[in-house]
Amino acid sequence: MRWGMVIDLKRCIGCYGCQLSCKAENGTPPGVFFARVHKQEEGQYPTAQTTFLPVLCNHCDDPPCVDVCPTGASFVWEDDGIVDIDADKCVGCRSCMMACPYSQRFLNDDPQNYYGDQGATPYEQARVERHQTGVVMKCNFCRDRVRNGQDPACVENCPTIARYFGDLDNPNSEVSRLIRERSGFPLHPEKGTNPNVYYLPA
Amino acid sequence: MTSTNSGRYEQLIKDYQTEYRPQREWSEGRGFFLILGHFLVGVAAGAWLFGLFFQDKISLLAGFVLAGLGGLAHLANLARPERFILMMLRTATSWVSRGFWGLTLFLIGSVIYLPSLMFSDTFWQSDSVIADVGVVFSIAGSIIMMAYMGFVYTASKAIAFWNSTLHPVLYISYALRGGAAAHLLSLAFQGEAVSGGSDILIFWIAVTVTVIVLWIFEIQGALTSGEEAAVHSVHDILAGRLALYFYVGILLIGLFVPVFLMAGIIAPLSPTLFALIGLTSVAGDFFMKFSSIKAGVFSPVRLYSGNNRRATRRRKI
Ligand code: SF4
Ligand code: SF4
Repeated sequence: MRWGMVIDLKRCIGCYGCQLSCKAENGTPPGVFFARVHKQEEGQYPTAQTTFLPVLCNHCDDPPCVDVCPTGASFVWEDDGIVDIDADKCVGCRSCMMACPYSQRFLNDDPQNYYGDQGATPYEQARVERHQTGVVMKCNFCRDRVRNGQDPACVENCPTIARYFGDLDNPNSEVSRLIRERSGFPLHPEKGTNPNVYYLPA
Repeated sequence: MTSTNSGRYEQLIKDYQTEYRPQREWSEGRGFFLILGHFLVGVAAGAWLFGLFFQDKISLLAGFVLAGLGGLAHLANLARPERFILMMLRTATSWVSRGFWGLTLFLIGSVIYLPSLMFSDTFWQSDSVIADVGVVFSIAGSIIMMAYMGFVYTASKAIAFWNSTLHPVLYISYALRGGAAAHLLSLAFQGEAVSGGSDILIFWIAVTVTVIVLWIFEIQGALTSGEEAAVHSVHDILAGRLALYFYVGILLIGLFVPVFLMAGIIAPLSPTLFALIGLTSVAGDFFMKFSSIKAGVFSPVRLYSGNNRRATRRRKI
């Protein structure tokens, strides 16, 4: 079993639904984005266009972030390949942030909330309580949801059905089929990390 | 958000809008202590080795104190310093963990060895087996301390400028240059600079030439690596946001001033001059580490890259 994701760039409309649903699901503080959408301008007038690139942790098969971690806080779940962080072991050295070629790790520094001096809203309190400060955070493919048979929040909330989640070890899964039939490719294969998030060309 | 947090958040969002996001985690705020820690630990290891070689108590003591301070600076860099002991757990893959062991070995070894030199009447003799064990531990620790920093940067795959395989050798050379400078200071302090310092000056020149050659290779490697982020970092050092540190801190203070003083142009060699040479050399090393760490920028995440390159140049909006 190796969980993976496929993102269809032809379907993505850059609505930020994944980014927001991830924030809602995980209650991440300001400055922490497990799922992001890069909006970029490409080409030059008169053929310039805006492109969207949704990014998240690639749950790499050879994750440099895990290798550099001095405490073992960063680890890979053996049963499903998800790269995760044990917050109780993290010393906040930020080595993993320097090792991830995809900038998918964030330090949850001091307690923060979105509404300044008003303090945390009850909603924020409920969500943020489960995050330690002084440790690094990252996407874990919504592992709790996945173990309960649900898809990650970003997949479930994508209005254009541009995101697919499944077992990359199963050649008959939808994700494996899409990668095969539509020439799916990962980001920065030259970094040698063997990502498990694939993109279908626009 | 409090105002500080809000400032940091705004900065992060601004950084994300730039093509080459500067790394701030290891250079700003508590991250500055990492630069300080790496600087202190490097000089400490060099000073200790020189102290052992020349049986110079002041260099040895300086090495011990600087290593202790370097260790504290490393702790100050952690967001959760109370958990520091966990950093010993992953020596199989993590250079940070190996460095932690190196520093620990060094401190244990020097705590065993130093009393035999300073208070041999009260403790064991410097030629005893216990003292020898201390020497072995401290040498092993020094070697790891000199090398590990370079490997930590090489393993940081997100920062193309640091990925050079020359980095570890460069850091070892810095440590030796720092050791030579510390020994010069020690000789000046003891008033023996002019009689005992000429060998050290020759060593200093040799190791400085090595540092310059390695640095040129590293810059050349970054420029020809095909990594735009590495080229951007070089530009930052030579003609961008870090140019002042490079030209004033590294070249003027760390290289030209000591060489000028060494040539004996303004005054004949004296303990004060030796002390000045040592101080300026060490200051130059600090600026060198500071600028190369600060110059790190994250490689941008692109849809098409390497063999898969199809994209034209993109601009983030
Ligand atoms: S994307 Fe980054 S954080 Fe995620 S597994 Fe790969 S290297 Fe680690
Ligand atoms: S910040 Fe935490 S998870 Fe990252 S390398 Fe350090 S200890 Fe490991």
